[in-house]
Amino acid sequence: MGNRLHSFLSRAPRNAGRREVWSSGALGLALSLTALAAPAAAEGGVAIRASKALICGADGRGCVDNAVVLVKDGLIEAVGPQRELEIPEDYELVDAGDSWVVPGLIDLHTHMAGGFGYNDMVYQLNPGLRISATVIPGHSRLRRPRAQGITTVLSIPGSGTNIGGQGILMKTHEVPYEEMVVRDPGSMKLAQGDNPKRWGYNMNRALMNHHIRHSLTQGRAYAESWLRHERGEGPKPERRIHLDIYRDLVSEKTQISVHTQYFQVVLATLRLLRMEAKMPCYIDHGSFDSYKLGAIAEEIGVAAILGPREVMWARPPAYDTEGRAEGTAWGFQQEGHTLIGFNTDAPVVASEELPLQSAMGVRYGFDNSQMDALRGLTIVPAIVGGLDDRLGSIEPGKVADLVVITGDPSDPRSVVDFVWIEGELVYEREEGSQVW
Amino acid sequence: MVSMTRTIGAAFALATLLGAPAAAQDLVIRCGKVFSMSDAGEIFAPGMIWIEEGKVSYVGPPKACPEETPVVEYPDGWATPGLIDIHTHIHTGGWGDINDMVHRINPELRASAGMRPDNRLMRLACSAGVTTVHGIPGSGTNISGFGVLYKTKTSPSFEDAVVRDPGGMKVAQDSNPQARAGEERFGCSRAGMGWALEDICEKALAAERQGRFDPAIENLKKVLRRDLPAVIHTAGGDGVGNTARMWHNKYKTQCCVSHGSFDGWKVAEAIAEWGCPVNHGPRTMDWSSSRNGRINGSSAAYAEAGVPLFSLNTDSPVMPQEELFLQGAMSARLGADSYSMLKALTSNTAKTFGIFDRVGSLESGKDADIVIFSGDPLDPRSRVERVWIDGQTEYEYERGRQRF
Repeated sequence: MGNRLHSFLSRAPRNAGRREVWSSGALGLALSLTALAAPAAAEGGVAIRASKALICGADGRGCVDNAVVLVKDGLIEAVGPQRELEIPEDYELVDAGDSWVVPGLIDLHTHMAGGFGYNDMVYQLNPGLRISATVIPGHSRLRRPRAQGITTVLSIPGSGTNIGGQGILMKTHEVPYEEMVVRDPGSMKLAQGDNPKRWGYNMNRALMNHHIRHSLTQGRAYAESWLRHERGEGPKPERRIHLDIYRDLVSEKTQISVHTQYFQVVLATLRLLRMEAKMPCYIDHGSFDSYKLGAIAEEIGVAAILGPREVMWARPPAYDTEGRAEGTAWGFQQEGHTLIGFNTDAPVVASEELPLQSAMGVRYGFDNSQMDALRGLTIVPAIVGGLDDRLGSIEPGKVADLVVITGDPSDPRSVVDFVWIEGELVYEREEGSQVW
Repeated sequence: MVSMTRTIGAAFALATLLGAPAAAQDLVIRCGKVFSMSDAGEIFAPGMIWIEEGKVSYVGPPKACPEETPVVEYPDGWATPGLIDIHTHIHTGGWGDINDMVHRINPELRASAGMRPDNRLMRLACSAGVTTVHGIPGSGTNISGFGVLYKTKTSPSFEDAVVRDPGGMKVAQDSNPQARAGEERFGCSRAGMGWALEDICEKALAAERQGRFDPAIENLKKVLRRDLPAVIHTAGGDGVGNTARMWHNKYKTQCCVSHGSFDGWKVAEAIAEWGCPVNHGPRTMDWSSSRNGRINGSSAAYAEAGVPLFSLNTDSPVMPQEELFLQGAMSARLGADSYSMLKALTSNTAKTFGIFDRVGSLESGKDADIVIFSGDPLDPRSRVERVWIDGQTEYEYERGRQRF
């Protein structure tokens, strides 16, 4: 009840600088009536003043010094320099001082929907399973990523089978299920490489790829039979719920997040999933020497969401780098790849250490002179996840998922001051209540 | 200990590559910032370091120097002393050969028997600016032996790398020895382990009083005389308190609480009052006493309590040796102050181990162990540009991007 009410009220942007506690049902009811009586549009918004706003737009790498971000009705209304952008009188001012304001961070590879059971391993291919069944709204596991400014996560099944099922894109604040879901299915999880080999029967990559091809072919045929039917060119197909996800994939409403890592495995991903089956997909992990396929991946439109290992050690003769460690993000970048992001595979690496993944990418050579570390935590995953019309940058009209932080988010020593999700203040650092 | 002669092989090849004579060359380094890490805490921006005969002969603002002395310039580089880690296990080149577990008390053993100089993990350490390392036995038994103090040089020669053997004594209290040796093998718990440690100390003290030579405990006698330091594996509020009372308060050794993880920080104020050094890591955060999901930064807690000598470790390869800096960064993330954490990787570590006369700061007369970072040493995004050990270039990023 408390949560539902809390979130309902939040649609009318609340006072950002103050924490309000909804403890009594009676009080809540009274307030909800007030909120209903006063339409959101009549209330003022929030103005965030910060020493820098990092925009992270799709093309630009803009930075506004001495910036103001105006938030209204859960959306970003405007962003600009303080001397040019006037703050309306009825807006509440949040003065972030020397801190910076950046878009909410997005992690496209996590296993933190809340409950247990990320691997249903009865069958080898499970395109019909949904991880949304395990979501626990308000789970305490979401508290730390939220406190780190991670506002959207894709929670996916494990890599125990070749197709683990459907992931869910969700927000990290404490609201009812319907309101935390950004998209379901968020992705279809497909795993190649070593983990699913353990499923059994001495299965190796050739057989796994055969089975994957079988499912993709079946799925595409099923999806196309529906498309024909919708165009009035064919009979209504018989519903096969384990293949329904392919309708979303073929119409590019979601994409395949592919657990794939070595050179030869990523090559199989690119050839089988993208070139042959023409599925929207992205490389997840992309570890070891797979960056050598960066140019091909770029050409055929397959993004690279890297982690939680950002470095490859030389192990001749398999990976001979003449003794040097090579950064995987550096490698993809060297190959001319332009959509490089980072993930934690949480809880493999703690969710709140997502920015550290990007920092280690830079440590191992990734060029950050154009803010690509932060872009790999914001706009790049937004584009890859098909969310960039709503999320990933500070642009008017986008959802107000915003983070105020004491410095560059990719420096682990920077501390988050405030986090807003959909214009609602969901974290505020104060003495005694901070997460760290 | 610094040997100017180098053996042929890899070291020779490196020297040839660098076009330098085998002996360290006199050199002047000019760079954007120099963190001296001296007690005076000087920071020179810009700064200059002069190396003569493998030692630092000048640190300060840039000044004129003889024309024949070569000069290297890193206008944006930040210089620090080589980083030091006194709790590591990479001397054997991996995990193997660090726990002799036949007996529970082994003050006669030495880690140097398993040392493999110039192994890959040492090279990684060097390339991340870690230049002085104490390689110690594991924590499977209560006294697992004596460590070897060495520098991470690219030389296959044991003599060339080793600074001191034995380096210091390794003692393990708390749960590891209890699980691996105590309860499982000898049927005793912390009380029994405590008794066994005090028993051997009393025997060593008696032998010392009686002038009796016993090869098994000669090095332990040195620890009890404060001639050699001791690194004590211990954790948790109970373990940390016990360790400090036994090794610092009662036997008055030159010891440090090493690890001190979990809620060990809860006894930080007592530890600070007693003056017992803490060598913290590789876990610098604590959830064990958390009531609200909060992560407590334990480095910050020890530092705030006023522990006189606070330093950090990796317990490598538990944490990669090349990520020693990250222990400082993550401690800073969880509330500690960055400069104090830089001390915890350099000067404080050297003082804790009694080697501050040679390493741990950039001051005239000290070993020329110098690291140039491309920026803030605690920022993971900075890279190491160049490392000198005893005035000799041991790692240089520009040569083939040998990042690690």
